[in-house]
Amino acid sequence: MSTLRELQHDVRDALLGSAEATVGEIAGDGVTPAARLAVYRHHVLTSLTAALEATFPVVVRLVDQRFFRYACDAYVRAEPPAGPCLFEYGATFPDFLAAFPACRQLAYLPDVARLEWAMNVALHAADTGVLNTETARALPAGTLESARLALHPSVTLLASPWPVDALWRANQPGGDGVVDLDAGAVDLQIWRRGDDVAFRALAPAATAFRRALADGGTLTVAARAALDAEPGADLAALLREALDDEVLLDCTR
Amino acid sequence: MAFQSLAGIGLRSPHVEEMLATRPAVGWLEIHAENYMGGGPAMRALERLRSEYPVSVHGVGLSLGSADGLDADHLERLARLVERVEPALVSEHLSWSIAGGAYLNHLLPLPYTEESLAIVTAHVARVQERLRRRILVENPSGYLRFEHSTLEEAEFLTALAQRTGCGLLCDVNNIHVTCANLGGDADAYLGALPAAAIGEIHLGGHAVNDADGRPILIDDHGSPVAEPVWRLYERALARFGARPTLVEWDTDVPPLPTLLGEAAQAAHRLDEAARGERDVHAA
Repeated sequence: MSTLRELQHDVRDALLGSAEATVGEIAGDGVTPAARLAVYRHHVLTSLTAALEATFPVVVRLVDQRFFRYACDAYVRAEPPAGPCLFEYGATFPDFLAAFPACRQLAYLPDVARLEWAMNVALHAADTGVLNTETARALPAGTLESARLALHPSVTLLASPWPVDALWRANQPGGDGVVDLDAGAVDLQIWRRGDDVAFRALAPAATAFRRALADGGTLTVAARAALDAEPGADLAALLREALDDEVLLDCTR
Repeated sequence: MAFQSLAGIGLRSPHVEEMLATRPAVGWLEIHAENYMGGGPAMRALERLRSEYPVSVHGVGLSLGSADGLDADHLERLARLVERVEPALVSEHLSWSIAGGAYLNHLLPLPYTEESLAIVTAHVARVQERLRRRILVENPSGYLRFEHSTLEEAEFLTALAQRTGCGLLCDVNNIHVTCANLGGDADAYLGALPAAAIGEIHLGGHAVNDADGRPILIDDHGSPVAEPVWRLYERALARFGARPTLVEWDTDVPPLPTLLGEAAQAAHRLDEAARGERDVHAA
């Protein structure tokens, strides 16, 4: 007889395995052990698929629900959640889609999924302090220049060769789904302001500025990165924009 | 009215805005712990609701029965949530959902053996020590049993309560479902539970599916409480006395008034049970 640990690993493998997979210790009782285990497998797969559908609604619309569920079946079996908070499940789904042979021709799909994942991250990110115009003004002179200004944990910077912002908007409920895929690359900032998740396209200097801060650079380093990207960049305007967006983490306290 | 005789509802995201706007009369709210372990608007809405309603924190992911051990990080997150929410009740399940680092998002069944009892006992003790409070452990719905089980589920729960001092969350729908699927007697199950340990009752709807050409009841919380479950609930109240009772509805979530209507039906039966207890005490 197996130990509880062995039994649980066997059940786990059977649940993530084929429809016929079963475990020796399950009693038949008039219904076969495989059919009894299938009740659990059905819930595991459908509930995790439902969680992914809630996180990636635009991907669902782009590939249709049946294909999405087919992809999820493979994803859940290959990469089940590592923990019980389902809002944290799906970080690797965009990469999975990129490698999934059946949707390889939809080259923009993984980046749409990355946008939706970033929006999910923004929605659930910790409520830590934001550095805005008001809090920045209250700082002693010189503090800001030398401080390492990290980005708030709700912020993701996403660079895509596809117009994923337009793709997302055109595929909202009631949208016509029509997008010019030749519209070209975008640099997006995805974040939460108050209770609302938002995204917007950034100019090259603003992107370089934020990426330098995200990499742990000081304001001076970020300013240099912005000038490298756009020689005529207005540094004061860049800082004001970041403060107005509320994308900086207040790490001066 | 005493918390013991109040009916509550499971708080589900489609109802949050309406709850905040209308503040309906309902005894208390239960949240799934794992939905409130991040930041953002969900947590802020809960902060507002908890100033008006008692809240119960119901964990679904701690995996008390995992032989691999408890996830220490997850227990810390639960502890922080409990500190922040200061709930009236904290509960989890007699089940497991994590093996080999995979979280399977289901309340999976345990073999009821001395080995399992030792593992769950150690985990419940550790959780109560960390949270510095008693928790309630819920009976799961069952679709299979293991041949090497040596204890009945009610016996297992009774022993767990005795060894750890934990309370029990009696899910009446789960008893009905499990007994129908595995050939048990629901009244004998109720009769075997220690009345003093019951700290909460759950009610919910179930579906009837087909497995191998035979009907199997699925605890999907996707419909009104079934008549036989209401009858069993009445017998549970007669045996245990009034206990805070929750109506759960998780799939095909109905309009809020429908769910409140289900809770009102539970509240009506709780009133009668509480009146019965007063009459007994007065006599």
